Amino acid sequence: MPQSRDLTRGLEQGFLDIKDGLKVVVDPLTQPLSWALNEALWLMQATPWWIMIPVLMLITWAVSRSVKLAGFVALCFGFLAFIDFYDYTMQTLAIIFVCAFICVLFGVPIGIAMSRSDKVQRAMIPVLDMLQTLPPFVYLIPLIFLFSVTEPKLYGIAIILYAIVPVIRLTDLGIRLVDADVIEAADAFGMTKRQKLFGVQIPLALPNIMAGVNQTIMMSLAMVVIASLVSAPGLGVLVLRGIRSLELGVGLVSGLGIVLLTIILDRVTKAALARINASQN
Amino acid sequence: MTKEPKIAIRNLYKIFGSDPQSVLPMVLDGMGKTELMEKHRHVLGLSDINVDIPPGETTVIMGLPGSGKSTLIRHLNRLIDPTSGEVLVNGENILDYDEKRLRQLRQHEMSMVFQKFALLPHRTVLQNAGMAPAVAGQSERAYAEEARKWLNRVGLEGQEQQYPHQLSGGMQQRVGIARALTSNSDIMLMDEAFSALDPLIRTDMQDLLIDLQAELHKTIVFITHDLDEALKLANHLVILKDGYVVQQGEPQDILLNPSDPYIEDFVSDINRARVLRVRSVMAKGEVDDAAVVGEIDANDMLESVIALSKGDTGLNYAVVEDGARVGTLHIKDLVRALVPADRPDEGERVA
Ligand SMILES: Nc1ncnc2c1ncn2[C@@H]1O[C@H](COP(=O)(O)OP(=O)(O)OP(=O)(O)O)[C@@H](O)[C@H]1O
Ligand SMILES: [Mg+2]
Repeated sequence: MPQSRDLTRGLEQGFLDIKDGLKVVVDPLTQPLSWALNEALWLMQATPWWIMIPVLMLITWAVSRSVKLAGFVALCFGFLAFIDFYDYTMQTLAIIFVCAFICVLFGVPIGIAMSRSDKVQRAMIPVLDMLQTLPPFVYLIPLIFLFSVTEPKLYGIAIILYAIVPVIRLTDLGIRLVDADVIEAADAFGMTKRQKLFGVQIPLALPNIMAGVNQTIMMSLAMVVIASLVSAPGLGVLVLRGIRSLELGVGLVSGLGIVLLTIILDRVTKAALARINASQN
Repeated sequence: MTKEPKIAIRNLYKIFGSDPQSVLPMVLDGMGKTELMEKHRHVLGLSDINVDIPPGETTVIMGLPGSGKSTLIRHLNRLIDPTSGEVLVNGENILDYDEKRLRQLRQHEMSMVFQKFALLPHRTVLQNAGMAPAVAGQSERAYAEEARKWLNRVGLEGQEQQYPHQLSGGMQQRVGIARALTSNSDIMLMDEAFSALDPLIRTDMQDLLIDLQAELHKTIVFITHDLDEALKLANHLVILKDGYVVQQGEPQDILLNPSDPYIEDFVSDINRARVLRVRSVMAKGEVDDAAVVGEIDANDMLESVIALSKGDTGLNYAVVEDGARVGTLHIKDLVRALVPADRPDEGERVA
């Protein structure tokens, strides 16, 4: 079909035309992301395992107050180290930490803005729908044009765009669901908008926000594997190697590593969520 | 009444809908709730409300569900703004207040108790009780003593560090009352504050409020749809129907002289002996010593006099108020007062 070729060529030409202009703006804005990813990758790999694993156990205990869970975390990382996947796991974890943190950093304020204005909500929902339904591979294409494949921010942006949606949605929802009676009481006792936001709305929306964070982490984990196609280090690289050179064993075992990591992250964030819920109801 | 009203509501109208101002002239010309709804798709929430709320007393606003009680009380601290009219608090029109002055009013001059308690679930009982000073910027350490004092006063000693969900409904509402008291405001707004509680606990809470009021003399605006509760608490009673005031005044007066069939219906089912007081049915003036068999207090309930007289309708009692004899109670009059005045027999009743 000549029409379809015209369309794709037109799009490509259009994108190439604005590319340089776009790059001037986006490049410096996203540079900190590259630094953050590089630093995190370096830090998590440079730290010896006998410091790293206790630190991770401590974090687990701090958010979940569960010794059992901390033990489980140690066991999983011990196993991954035993099969020589420790470095890959740390790389994946570093990327997830950075990306999930940035998702929360931007997602929560965006969600708050949506909850405060129906107009903002109406404008954001189609964007979020698109980000969530677009096949993850599709994000990568324009990004490859924009940045060089060796830059970490390339995969960083792809992961963030994909994973930020749930934390935005659930922050918006959580704040809108805060009991209207409690909000009325806050008004009746003369709270300012700020006091209401930080003293009432965010704390009461926290269970929903945390559920969003949990989903965001799960989605970054899914994306980090795909992002290996554009040079993201970590367990995804091993999966790709398994596919490319048909090394069945490597592919399956690295898949298992990803499953373990998923379970850990899910359990820890859910335990934190359960603690918040328990203190409120 | 010579006292200046603490709160005065003047010609207050509230219309809900897409463009209230456009239909206001029609309402001012006397269009009713149903017509406004049918022709213009606007809800007439309140219509020409004029109420003076005396200081240091309990004013009860009563009406059926949907009569506009919650809407009215929310105008007093401007949780809702009127379509037209004025609300004067201590003589100042609060509709002229800017945001900052309004917050000050809400923090220091008025407090509110809610039907569903509306406590902060993530704060302790102590922090909830100290909400008003906390909002004004005080630290927990600064307000703790005051908050603890009022928590103790409402019967919550030792519960300071609990969270609201650990308490029963009645206890949660005690926290709600302590929260209102800790603000040290003169005015307390209570929107169906006891309606969500079990009957027994409800009675306890009513007694607690009466005790507190005898001690503190706050200006209380209390909303209820329960006539027994209204009569128990009210110094001043306002009856709302479809957004307008049907009758207001002293409860005993309203009971004895209902101005409207709506109110007659309302008051027909209550136990009058338990509500009416001697002073409302006595004959005022000189007491004939020879005719009376004893003395009773002007504020006694009729019920206790019936018990005293053992049902003998021939007796008369001298009525004493503040040590002086002020009138005579004929038990015959008492019995007559127990049934609604001028009420035709059921058979003759015409629609
Ligand atoms: N925001 C609103 N928009 C439209 N109509 C409203 C709104 N708020 C209240 N109303 C209407 O105003 C009328 C009075 O409502 P209000 O809540 O004040 O009644 P109420 O006497 O407190 O009733 P209840 O005993 O059920 O609490 C009702 O007809 C209600 O439907
Ligand atoms: Mg109501």
